[in-house]
Amino acid sequence: MSPLKHFYNMQLGIIDLSLPSAVTIPLNPEQVLKRIGGIAMNRELLHEHGDAIVFGTGPLTGSFAPASSLLTATFASPIFTHVCHVPFMLRTGPAMKFSGIDFLVVKGTATELSIIYVNRGNVHVRPATHLRSVPAQDIMNALKKEFRPSGAALVTGPAADHGILYASVSVEGHGSLDKAGLASVMAAKNLKGIVFGGTGGLPFGRDNPGQGKELIQRISADRNFIHRGFAALLKLMDGGKAAGIIPGKAKKKDMACYNCPAPCMTHVSFPRQDFSLLLLDHMGVTALAKKTGAHALPLLRRCLQFGLDPAGVARRLPDGKTEAEWLFAIEKMLTEAERNQIAAEQSADVPVKNHALFGGGIAPIPPLDTWHTRVGLAMILGVCPLFFLRFPTISETDLLRFISQDEAALTKLQESLTASIRSVISD
Amino acid sequence: MREPLTKQDISFGLDDLRPRVKEKKTLRDYFMPPRHPSILFDPDKCTGCGTCEMICSTRNTKMVAPSAASVKVITDERQGKNFAILCQHCRKPLCVEACPTRAITKGNDGIVRIEKLFCTDCGLCTLACPAAAPIKDPGSEEIHKCDLCEGEPLCVRYCPESALTFTRGKFFRWIKGLRWAVQLISFLLLVVVFIGTFCYFKAGEVTLSCPTGTLQNIASSGTIILVGASSALALLILTILAGRLFCGWVCPFGFVLDLVDKITPKKLGWPAFLKSRMTKYGVLAGAVGGSYALGFQAFCTICPIGTLCRSYGVQSFFRSAELAIVPALAGLEIAQRRSWCRYFCPVGAVLGLTAILRLIKIVIGAKKCKKFSCIQCAEVCPVGIIEGDELREGISPNIPMTECIMCMRCIDRCPYGAAKIRFRWQKVTPGEVT
Repeated sequence: MSPLKHFYNMQLGIIDLSLPSAVTIPLNPEQVLKRIGGIAMNRELLHEHGDAIVFGTGPLTGSFAPASSLLTATFASPIFTHVCHVPFMLRTGPAMKFSGIDFLVVKGTATELSIIYVNRGNVHVRPATHLRSVPAQDIMNALKKEFRPSGAALVTGPAADHGILYASVSVEGHGSLDKAGLASVMAAKNLKGIVFGGTGGLPFGRDNPGQGKELIQRISADRNFIHRGFAALLKLMDGGKAAGIIPGKAKKKDMACYNCPAPCMTHVSFPRQDFSLLLLDHMGVTALAKKTGAHALPLLRRCLQFGLDPAGVARRLPDGKTEAEWLFAIEKMLTEAERNQIAAEQSADVPVKNHALFGGGIAPIPPLDTWHTRVGLAMILGVCPLFFLRFPTISETDLLRFISQDEAALTKLQESLTASIRSVISD
Repeated sequence: MREPLTKQDISFGLDDLRPRVKEKKTLRDYFMPPRHPSILFDPDKCTGCGTCEMICSTRNTKMVAPSAASVKVITDERQGKNFAILCQHCRKPLCVEACPTRAITKGNDGIVRIEKLFCTDCGLCTLACPAAAPIKDPGSEEIHKCDLCEGEPLCVRYCPESALTFTRGKFFRWIKGLRWAVQLISFLLLVVVFIGTFCYFKAGEVTLSCPTGTLQNIASSGTIILVGASSALALLILTILAGRLFCGWVCPFGFVLDLVDKITPKKLGWPAFLKSRMTKYGVLAGAVGGSYALGFQAFCTICPIGTLCRSYGVQSFFRSAELAIVPALAGLEIAQRRSWCRYFCPVGAVLGLTAILRLIKIVIGAKKCKKFSCIQCAEVCPVGIIEGDELREGISPNIPMTECIMCMRCIDRCPYGAAKIRFRWQKVTPGEVT
């Protein structure tokens, strides 16, 4: 029996937006055992189905493994012009899994703007023309009223509707690490978003809660565990230069994704100005802060409303302007859609190819020599890559032990994982 | 042929099948009530990771299914605050009353449980609960409610931020015990041993007197006797130092009212036009004015505190006709707790005016208090000066210390340690940790 059996619904949803049709078929257990899951499975499904977007979860997504929040999207990036894997955190991964689907292949182009609703193992395509050009947060509110999901939703904002290449997918209206143009690919397919009902469940491993707690205790003395929040991760990236954009008088609250013991997001709010933001995109905020200094937060808010990648916007903003001028420039970007490809922001520390492979939004956290393997491994297993990068003492075996304690099965899983990482990185 | 069933034949109902468990209070319950277990939530620590939902759902459904958990973490996107919706295991649970099949019961251990055998998943309990704690699983349509994992809650054990803590409740509330003891001793000393000393006490050069009586005396005699005036200062100085501590801890009539309250738990309420706390200042003015007009201390003849204190020992206790005023005014307790103290007591009015100069205050920190919270402080306050609605909105309520009788019930009852005594100059902005 496959040790992965309890970690998946073993269901694959295939949607052809051009018909539109949606079917659910069982996953091939041997294929799953060979590829483990996550981006390795996504890549294989993409090769099978051709021009498509593949959304997938890893075996540990939703489980008691720490930071098991990951959902990945694999597609041919119009920005990087090769296959990219974009991570989505918060509650997206578990919501997809608890909706009864492990992988979702989205093919074709819809005749009208559509939205995909997944719940209880069923996939539906519904019209979403009323959501065209609506700000991302308002779309989320509308979807919550319409579907009342206990799960999560990925949507594109007005920027994607206007055909902007550097549009970015928004998770729950808070933005995402999508810097590879997934939103523009979704818009090209006339796909507004995906809503996961998330009303089901999976048994996972029985010993998992205890294992998770042991792992957390093991890393609890780590410096990265003690220093938390958005600013702590910025410090790991660039020495914390961008952390200065968060004013001292702002109310700050560290927030975590699903089952994450080491929060790296911060909710900042200014009650007097009725203005609040969840900071989760470290690369985007750093890019905006470099360009606009203390004005980065209002500009970030505008980017999130329009569903724009802050890093992409930062590259296009003129230097030395006032906040109002920059805000106007962002609004102008919607009407004057810049379709020309402009090289995405790259980290000087991580090789361009590796950084782009994983969507260009994952922070370059040291040690950088193993950065791409650790990111790839996390994105195959379904664990947040940022968490896995921050705690180098956690090994792949530690995570595989959540799937099986049996040494023989563990060895087999290890072999499959190594082969999967190699295949992903070779792209 | 068998006769058809009549209405009498089928007249048995739910009361016969599953009779309601009637609460029987013993004397011990009045003074040492049973423990009240609950899970305390600290919104400052919660990061919204949802581990509590995961672990809870494994107990409810044998699998990880956050939507089937008995605890729900929600985030206020505007304020960036996380809140946990979980059962408070109320003293008088509304869900128990609302359940049409009587599937919900409160055990002797204080835990409110759902008997799955009888539950029809109608969802009335979710509507009745002020915290919406029974949660309807959108997947299976079943109702899930926290049963504290029978005393060892898994969510508390696995919360990575220690935002959840489990309390079995206070076995003995020391402030409550101390207050009752002080009240009883004060009653015995003032009413039985040192008879009449509350109104006027003289030992050598030291004289003490009731401040309201002193004011009436000044009004009736038209002269200010310095010794008499200074003797009234003792109670006023106590009030400046510790607020209206006398009213909550020492007043013998207050003790009688607290006892009457114990036997009249259901209150009828006052009509709105009578519910003015300014009335007592009017009574004080009337007492002083009456004394001036009549030439004697008019109010002292009917003062319930004075009447009790002047009843000249146990033998005279039942003979004194004056004492009829005590049960008459204590009867007001049927309408509202400490009705006399709230609206009419002129002694309280003098102390209230003095309390403007108090050195201390009681503060309730809304940030330490859970939103959708227990509001036990508001419920337990005998003079009803704590605004529960403000706490629900996350605002520290402004407690009028001129009305507070410093009984410290709020401090004693608060499971979060959010009610505290502070100096009056210590700044406490609404919403901040105190």
